[in-house]
Formats: sequence, C-alpha cells, structure tokens
Amino acid sequence: MIIAEHLAKNFQVKVGKGIFREKKSIEAVKDISLQIEKGKIVGLLGINGAGKTTTIKMLTTLLAPSAGTYFMDDMDAVKYPMEIKKRINMIAGGERMIYWRLTAYENLWYYGQIYNVPNSILKQRIEELLALVGLEGKQNIPVETFSKGMKQRLQIARGLINDPEYLFLDEPTIGLDAVVSKELRSHIKFLAQEKNKGILLTSHYMREIEELCDYIYILNDGCLIKQGTARELAADTFNRRNYILKLYEQSDDILARLDHNLRQYDPTTEVSGDGDCISINSSENISLELSRLCTQEGLFIREMYEKEPELEDTIIKLSKEVSA
Amino acid sequence: MRSFVKTFAAEIVKQHKNYFYSKTIYISLFLWPLFSFITTYYSFQVFDLSKSKVPYITAENVVVYLLLGYMCMSLFRCLVQSAWRFSFERFHGTLELIFLSPSNRAAVLLGNAVASLFESVIITVVFTVFMLVLKSEALFFKLLPAVIVFLLVIGMAVVWGMFLNSLFLFSRDTNFLFTVLEEPMEIFSGVKVPIILFPLWAKMIAAIFPLTYAIEAVRRVMLYGSSLYEIRIYLLIGILIMIALLIAIMIILVIVEKHIRVTGNITLF
Repeated sequence: MIIAEHLAKNFQVKVGKGIFREKKSIEAVKDISLQIEKGKIVGLLGINGAGKTTTIKMLTTLLAPSAGTYFMDDMDAVKYPMEIKKRINMIAGGERMIYWRLTAYENLWYYGQIYNVPNSILKQRIEELLALVGLEGKQNIPVETFSKGMKQRLQIARGLINDPEYLFLDEPTIGLDAVVSKELRSHIKFLAQEKNKGILLTSHYMREIEELCDYIYILNDGCLIKQGTARELAADTFNRRNYILKLYEQSDDILARLDHNLRQYDPTTEVSGDGDCISINSSENISLELSRLCTQEGLFIREMYEKEPELEDTIIKLSKEVSA
Repeated sequence: MRSFVKTFAAEIVKQHKNYFYSKTIYISLFLWPLFSFITTYYSFQVFDLSKSKVPYITAENVVVYLLLGYMCMSLFRCLVQSAWRFSFERFHGTLELIFLSPSNRAAVLLGNAVASLFESVIITVVFTVFMLVLKSEALFFKLLPAVIVFLLVIGMAVVWGMFLNSLFLFSRDTNFLFTVLEEPMEIFSGVKVPIILFPLWAKMIAAIFPLTYAIEAVRRVMLYGSSLYEIRIYLLIGILIMIALLIAIMIILVIVEKHIRVTGNITLF
C-alpha cells in the first residue's frame, strides 16, 4: 500500500528580466496525504493548477518532496527511490515518451532491458502486452506510422513492461477517440481487478474518473480539499435535492403554479423548465408533496425521479466555491 | 553488473537504430571533415614546408599529418555529437522515462557513447584507407604502439563523450556546450596547426582538451615510429584523463539525479 502524508513541494523559480533575476519560492504542493491500495483505482482530480502532476512526480520518485513522508509497502520511498522505481511505472497521455523510429517490439524490448526484465520472460511478456493492447501483428512496424491511438496503446504496454505493482496514469486517454478510450478503460479496470495493481489515475474526463475510481482525491491550489467515493463526494458537496418532473402537458402557467405551491413547503425551492423537463431544486425531501400537488392540480405525470448529483457537478460547484 | 551490461547493450542498439536508420547518414559524416581537410591541406601549400619550424612536418608527410589530426578529431566529434543527440531524449520525453527506471545511469551514458563509436570506427577505417592510398611511404610505425595508441584514443573519446552526455543532463540549456566545445576543440587541439606554434594562452586552452594529447600520441607513433616507451607520457596523461573524467562523471551523475529531483527540470524541453 502507498501511504503519503503531508507531502509538499516547493520550487525555486527566477522572476523578472535581465541578468539579475530574483529567486522566488513557489509552493506547487502544500499539503497532500493519500493512500493507494493494491487492486484499487484511485482518482486524482484538480481545480485551477492544483498540483496533480507535481504530486504524481513525487509519487513516482521523479521529484523529491520538500516535506512529508511517502512509504510504499513500508519502504521509505523518499530515502530509497531506486528500490521504488523497480516496482512502479507511469503512463502519460500523448505521443511522446516512445521512440518513433523504432518498432513497437523494439521499444518494448529496450524498456524491458533497462528494467532488467529477464530475457527468458521478456519476449513472452512483450507478445502478451502487445496482444493486451491490440497491437499484435504490428510489432515490427515503426511507431512513426502508428495512429495516435496505437501510440497510446503502446504507451500502456510500455508502462506494464516491468509488471509494476503500482501504476501511475496521467491523463492516459487524452486525445483518444471514444472507442479506444473505452478499450483503455477496460484495460485499466482489468489491471486493478485481475492483476491486483494499485493505480493512481488523473483525468479531465469526469465520466472516466467516476466509472473507474474506487476512491477520489480532489486537489486545489496544492491542498487536498475533498476525498471519498464519487457518490460520497457528490452527496457531501450537494446538500440540496434535484427532482426531474416530466408531464404530459407543460406551460409557463403550470411552472408558476408549481413554484408557488412548493414554496409553501420549502421557501428556497426553485422551479425551472428545461425542454420537456421541469427541474425542481429544494433543500427538503419534497417528493411526496410534489406528487400530491400534481394530483391536486390535475397534472398527469409521465416521469418523476430524484436526480443524483454527478462528479462533474461536484467539481463545477467546488471550482465556483474556490474561485469566489 | 548484469543490469549494467543489459542497459549498456540496449542503449547501443536503441541509439544505433534510432539515429542510423539510413545509410546516407554516413555520407554526411564524411563530407564535413573532408571539406575541412581539403581547405586546410591547400592552406598549407602556400608555405614552404622545407623551412618548417616543426621538425616532423615535411612537404611529403603533411597530408598524413593532417589526415591523422582529422581522423582523431572525427572520432571525438562523433562523441560530442552523440551528447548533442542525447539532448533530444529530453525533448521526446524519453529521458524522463530513463530516470523513472532503475537503470544504471552510467550504463546509459556509456551505451550512448559507444553507439557513436560505431560510426567513428567506420570513419577511422576510411581515413586509414585514404592515408594508405595517398601517402603510405610517409607512414612509419610499429604495429603494437599503433594498436595501443588507437585503443587509447578510442577510450578517451568514449569517456569524453560520456562526460559531455552527463553535462547535457543538467538542463535543457546546456546545448551551448556543444558550440563551446566543438569548434574550439578543432582549433586548439592541434588538428590543423601544431600546438608547438601556439602562443602560451592558446597552449593553455589546448591543455584542456583530451584530443590534444590523443592527436600528439597518434602522430608520434604514426609519423615518427615512436615506441610505447617514447610516448609513455602521453599514455599516462591519456589514462589519467580517462580516470579523472570517469570520476567526474560519477560525481556529476549523483549531482544531476539530485538536481533533477529538486528542480523537476527533466520534463522541461
């Protein structure tokens, strides 16, 4: 298990122009604590340059934390980064980080060698990984002829070449089409559930985080501001309820009447029309009152349900709160 | 050790496949030194070499004298260029992945330098053929000292390449070293002009470059027929330079790794 506590990272940057530039310390990460269990996928979300990438770089030992502790299966990762490097790997989105003039096989062979993967198993592992990412039959083609999706799939294979216990995925599906993204998401699930790998995932796609992650950390300005499952985060962020009501007949008059009557139960209730839907936002559980009111008013209900807040709504709301 | 050897071998294979994808690259490798050699050779023709201040340069052997200089320089230049090429790893993000891995950093540098040696050896062979065809009568050497001195030159060139590679790891802005080291190395190492003719300040600059000692040792063996005993001082200096550079490389690698982990500049390109 990865346990990182109170991680912080300061960078010294030069500001101003000319020869005599002033040095300034920037706190990219101020205080972040997180845990990653084997077999689980943990999401890292950020608002406004939150420090996601810096956090990943610290966890992958590419950066040394300025403060805090970081243990991987009881080994001090700050003190023994070389030992940690043997047990991890990182996959980033984009088309860099592979040798374009080399073939897919040659790329994987090279990375296998520098990770000291025994030659007796390397060939078989490369073949298995190429099959896993759907590049079997393409292993002897130079990477420069690959499509973006194929290069990204090769990245996934590259990140698994040392059979890492923990995998860090930095926006792995960025720029990929829907089909390839879906395939990659199923690979990621497979790696956690079937191969028992601990995975940290960052993504701008909320649906992806919501679909894959067992637990989510939300960062802002270098600090952890929320954590929990997607459901917990949404419930915790939204203390109001959203109802969707679809009627056989809808008009401005009906909206006004609903608004007026529902405010009798909860003065903060807001009623708005959105296409053929009526959206009702209230701080109270008004589902009973709402159905009763429709019966009284002679409105025939086509559909009525309480809409659970989504992770995306949570992030948007948190983003507005921190910007305010 | 096994890990070191695997990384070293993988780096050689990777760099060779990555940069020597086309045979036309060998043509470009020869053209520049060849043009430079021709220019220098005809520059010498305007002087009366029978009155040369340098006793071992004569009108008969000036071609070989220059060819030996250019051969050694080409060896070193290939290694300098290997360091420059290594900076592309930063641009492509692969350097970050090398540092993400537990691979031995010295093995990576050595592999990268030795990969360039492949092209260097081919250049050496071509220059040798040139010499034998043009002026074999000017060559006066014993086999053992010749072999030893060439091995020494290759060793020095590889370690020099590793040293430059290690400096290039510091930041994306170390590319200026390529400009600073490439041309001055050719000017001050005695490739074209004998160092004995240099003023004191230029001799001091020449003393910095390992190529200076390499060229002098090769010329003494190949033109004078000097024995190993007679060039012992150059052998000793060469070995000491290699040891000093290897120690410097190890120290630099430790500093670079710490520097990268503090600044995070490995991702900047």
